[in-house]
Amino acid sequence: MERLKRLLSKVLGINEESITDDTSSDNVETWDSFNGLLLISELENVFNIKLTIGEVRSMNSVKDIKEILNKYCVNLK
Amino acid sequence: MNYPINISDYLEKYKKLTPKNLEHKYCKIALLSSSTIKYIKEILAVKGREIGLEIDTFMGGYNQYSQEIMEEDSKLYKFDPNLVILFIDTRALLGDLFFNFYELNIEERKELLVSKKQELTGLIDILKGKIKAKIVVHNFEIPSNSSLGILENKQELGKTEFIEKTNEWLRDYYKTDSQVFIFDYNCFISNLGKKEIFDYKMYYLADTKLGFDYFPLLVDQYFSYIKPLMSISKKCLVLDLDNTLWGGIVGEDGVEGIKLGPMPEGRPFLEFQKYILSLFNRGVILAINSKNNYNDVLKVFNEHPYMILKEDHFASVQINWNDKISNMKTIAQELNIGLDSFVFFDDDKLNREMIKDSLPEIKVVDLPEDYSLYLKTIEELDDFNTFQLTEEDKKKGKMYADQRRRSDFIKSTQNATEYLKGLQMKVTIEEVNKFNVSRISQLTQKTNQFNMTTRRYLEEDIKNFALNHDFLVFSVTVEDKFGDNGITGAAIIEKCKNHFRVDTFLLSCRVIGRRIEEIMLAYILERAKTEKVKTLLGEFIPTTKNIPAKEFFKENGFKLIKINGNIEIWEFPVETEYKSPEFIEVIKASH
Repeated sequence: MERLKRLLSKVLGINEESITDDTSSDNVETWDSFNGLLLISELENVFNIKLTIGEVRSMNSVKDIKEILNKYCVNLK
Repeated sequence: MNYPINISDYLEKYKKLTPKNLEHKYCKIALLSSSTIKYIKEILAVKGREIGLEIDTFMGGYNQYSQEIMEEDSKLYKFDPNLVILFIDTRALLGDLFFNFYELNIEERKELLVSKKQELTGLIDILKGKIKAKIVVHNFEIPSNSSLGILENKQELGKTEFIEKTNEWLRDYYKTDSQVFIFDYNCFISNLGKKEIFDYKMYYLADTKLGFDYFPLLVDQYFSYIKPLMSISKKCLVLDLDNTLWGGIVGEDGVEGIKLGPMPEGRPFLEFQKYILSLFNRGVILAINSKNNYNDVLKVFNEHPYMILKEDHFASVQINWNDKISNMKTIAQELNIGLDSFVFFDDDKLNREMIKDSLPEIKVVDLPEDYSLYLKTIEELDDFNTFQLTEEDKKKGKMYADQRRRSDFIKSTQNATEYLKGLQMKVTIEEVNKFNVSRISQLTQKTNQFNMTTRRYLEEDIKNFALNHDFLVFSVTVEDKFGDNGITGAAIIEKCKNHFRVDTFLLSCRVIGRRIEEIMLAYILERAKTEKVKTLLGEFIPTTKNIPAKEFFKENGFKLIKINGNIEIWEFPVETEYKSPEFIEVIKASH
């Protein structure tokens, strides 16, 4: 989770401590459509994966991201 | 492909940028684009700060470029940029025709090409009419795929050819334009791989035509234009020798032992040198900073069959056992240019770090350990860019190198006259013509020391003088046995009824102290005599910088007759005998 938090904090400009599973585009102002895409691009780089357009469309919260990363067997530690 | 710094790192750094550093130069850039291209502003600001620039960027709205350009009072014009970048992509250019291009018949395709050309130049010309800023225009991505497959190349004005023609035409149309520069975007993305840079998912989600990862690299390309715009381009390449210009250590391996030549081991060095020579030929000044025995190196210069660079190419040669930092300072002193115009190449990491620490204004290139990558490293350097390259500019590297040999010569002579005689100078006096007009204007703009009046004239002004029969305008070219100094002097004389008035009389600092000014004066007197004029009136306007010119009239027999405000008026009767140095050969050229 540390790597993910660090990344989220960098892209969205929010505090790492404030990030929980419920953190989502609904409750973070900077999580707009564009930063959302930047987040995807950075996730792909950092975890060396390629997400599908369908997955991207359904990733709106930290919980969603974790589920999908799990699918790709990404080690979040 | 992964690049070490992601956009999020730039965003983070951008947030941490301290308030504007007022010592830095300030630059405003406008980016107008047909697709989504966010974050360029932040990347420009962060990268700019690293090289001493404060950059503000205006990001035009998504696909709003025509409105921004057409509207009288648009945000673009209010922003008043120093540089405008116009990035229209192929899909935007073709619209739906990107897919159904072949629904058009050949005639329609030809018409389309004409109308697209008009559309583009029309837009760019409006922009040109409204602002003085430099304009950088992306050319178009040449599509890699075609529904016609292997038959694409058999079509008359096919889709690929259509884009190629558009690019070719853009390049040719603006070839001689000093305001508009075509950025070869197609080449840029070809280098990276068109397949790599286009992310279909991101394209559908946000209409981006260039993947996020490549934004920082695109910004690097923009810096090729920003650097000369802000006058932070470099002038001089300082080189180490062992394991930089050749493989091995000459002091240990000997001239025969060093790696340099057509074989695999020596060829990377050979070609590295060839590239450096081509930089020299575009006006880059070369210098050596190396720990070595001078005589060992001299042997390489004189005896090695594959040593492309010769001692005569170098404007300063520091081959000794002093530390590299003091050598660097000596080079700066000898060439009389700032350390901030240096680029330094050295294979030794320790040396590089030392220079970085002590002389941070120097650009130190991190040479890769693998010397087969030396050529790549120097090819990718974007620090020697200029917006124009006159014949004069191209000779700069050579002129500085000739100057070094002159200085060596002066040390070997007894006195000044002997030195000047030994130079075997040849001075060509040429009345203003289309070949020297821009250089004459440039000299009035740049010359501060030996300049009697420091009057600055634009090229247009000089052209007007040239058309006016009441003015005599001429340039002076100085050659000597060490080389051609180019056009280094100029004068503008007003021919009044009873006297000649010296409006402008100047010499570049390159040739001060060589009695060229006396040749110029003799020529003016000769012309005055021919036109039966009695008096020559010289004007002198003192500034803090033109002290070298202060005594000229006095020492040459002029009398101070009055002072008008800050203008001293000096008089010389034309009939008085005047002797100029006989050891200078004078050629009067006419066009």
